[in-house]
Amino acid sequence: MRTLSEYLRLYFIIETQYIKARMQYRADFIISSIGMFFSSLATLGVFWVILESVPDLAGWSLMEMVFIYAFYMIAISPMQILFDHAWQIRFHVQQGTFLKYYFRPLNMMFYYMSEMFDLKGITQLVVGVGLLIYASIQLHIDWSLARVFLLCMTLFSAALVQISIIVSASCAAFWVVNSYPVLGLAWRLREFSPYPMTIFDGAFRFTFTYVIPIGFVAFYPSQLFLRPEEVSSLIYFSPIIGIGLFAITYWIWTKGVNSYTGTGS
Amino acid sequence: MNKYFALTRGGYMMGVIYRFGFIFTIIGNVVYLGVAYYLWKSIYQHSDVIRGLTFNEAFLYVGLGSAIFILLKTYVDWFIHSDIREGTIANYLIKPIDVGLYTLFFSLGFFLMNVTAITIPTFLLLIFVFKVQFTVGIGLFIFPISLLMAFLISFSFDYFIGLFGFYTESVWGLSTSKEIIVTVFSGALIPLQFFPDAIQKVLFWLPFQAIYHTPLMMITRPNQSWDVFLPMLGIQLFWAVVLFIGARLFYDQAVKVLRISGG
Repeated sequence: MRTLSEYLRLYFIIETQYIKARMQYRADFIISSIGMFFSSLATLGVFWVILESVPDLAGWSLMEMVFIYAFYMIAISPMQILFDHAWQIRFHVQQGTFLKYYFRPLNMMFYYMSEMFDLKGITQLVVGVGLLIYASIQLHIDWSLARVFLLCMTLFSAALVQISIIVSASCAAFWVVNSYPVLGLAWRLREFSPYPMTIFDGAFRFTFTYVIPIGFVAFYPSQLFLRPEEVSSLIYFSPIIGIGLFAITYWIWTKGVNSYTGTGS
Repeated sequence: MNKYFALTRGGYMMGVIYRFGFIFTIIGNVVYLGVAYYLWKSIYQHSDVIRGLTFNEAFLYVGLGSAIFILLKTYVDWFIHSDIREGTIANYLIKPIDVGLYTLFFSLGFFLMNVTAITIPTFLLLIFVFKVQFTVGIGLFIFPISLLMAFLISFSFDYFIGLFGFYTESVWGLSTSKEIIVTVFSGALIPLQFFPDAIQKVLFWLPFQAIYHTPLMMITRPNQSWDVFLPMLGIQLFWAVVLFIGARLFYDQAVKVLRISGG
C-alpha cells in the first residue's frame, strides 16, 4: 500500500509532464478555454433570458440563481478537471489499450484518471468562483467562519456526487463498450442540477433528491446560504451522501475492471 | 448521384447499429421533457401569455426543439476532424468522390435514422403523455421542407468547423463554442420571443434562427398565411445556400495544407 502523500507526489509529477505536453498546443488551449467559458455560462444565459420576462423563477430572483449557478460551476469543476479521462474509457476498451492500466503497482482508478488533467476546466472554476463572490456581495451574504466551513463541506460533497454520477456512467463501457449514450444521459442530467428543485414534484423531485441526487450538486446546498430557514435537515447529511455515492461508484469500477475481457482487437 | 444515395443508406444502417443508444437518448429526452414541463409551468404560474406565447405554445416549442436538436446534431465536425488527424481522409481523396457531398449524404442517412428513432417517438410523447395540443394548418406541411433546410444549414456549420482540423490540434473548443452559440441563439433552448427586443432584432439577421426557430414556429403557429411562411423559407434557403457554398470554398483552401505522415 502506498501512502496518500506518495500518491499526491506522483500525481504532481504526472500532471506536470502532462501540462508540459499540452502546452505544445497553446492555441488549442486558448480556444478550448473560450469554448469552456461559453458552454459553462449557457444555462445561466437561459435563466437570464427567462427572468427578463418574468419577475422570478419559483420565487428565486436572478441574483439568487446566479449564486446557485456559481455553486454548481465550482461543484462540477473537480469532475471536469480531474476525472475527464472517464470519457475515454470506451475508446480504451474498444481498442484494447485499457490493458496497460492493469500493469502498474498503483491504484487503477488513480492511474487511469491521472492520465488527463483538463486545463480548460480551470476556466470554469475561475468563472464560478468569480460569480460566487459577485453574487454574495450583491445578496449581502455575510461569510462567518462557520458558513465558510459549511461551504467547503457542501462543495466537497457536491463535487463527489457529480464525480460519482459521471464515473459510474462511464463504467458502462466495461459491459457494453460504447458507453456514450449512458454518459450523454448523465451529462444532460448534470445540466438540471442548478434548477430550483422546488419547481419539481412527484417522481422528478424524488429522483433528483434520492435516486440520482443532482439536487445535492447545487440547489440544496445553496439554499443553506440563501434561505437557511427553508432548508431541510437532509443537507447536513450531504457528506455521507457524497462519500457513499463515491464508494458505490468505486465498487462499480472495481467490478468493471475485473470483468473486462477486451474486444479482441 | 446514385453513389451518394448509397451513402445515405449506409449512414442509416450505421445508425441502426447503435440501437442500444436510442433507449438512453429517448430516456434522456423524456427526462428533458419532464424538466422542461416543470420549468415552463413555473414560468407561467402568474400569467397565461408571456411575450405572445401561451404555455402550450412555449412548451411545444421547447419540447420539439429538443427532439430536433438530436436530429440536427450531425457530429460531422468530430468525424472530419478525426479523419484529418488520423490521415484516413486520404481514403476519400483518392476516390472519384466529392468529400463535401460524401459527408453530406452520409450524415443525411443518420438524420433519417434519427427521425424514425427519436423525433417521431418524442412527437408521440408530447401528444399522448404531455397532452400538448397541435393546431392544424399549412405550417405542418411546410415543416418537413423547413427541417430539411435546417439540416443543411446545421450540416454546413459542422462541416465548416470540422475543416479547422486541417489547422488545429483539437476541435473541441471550436465545436463547443459553435454548439453553444447555435443552441442559445437559435431558439433550441428557449423561444427567441423571450429575448429582449434589441437582441431579438440582431438574432433575426443571423443564420442561427433559421436552424430551430423557423421550423419550430411552423409547428407552434401553423395557421398563418403564405405571406408569413414564404419569406421564412426564403431566408432559410438563402442561408443554406450561402453557408454550404462557403463551407465548400473553405474546403478547397484548407485541403491544400494537408500533410499526411506515413501510413
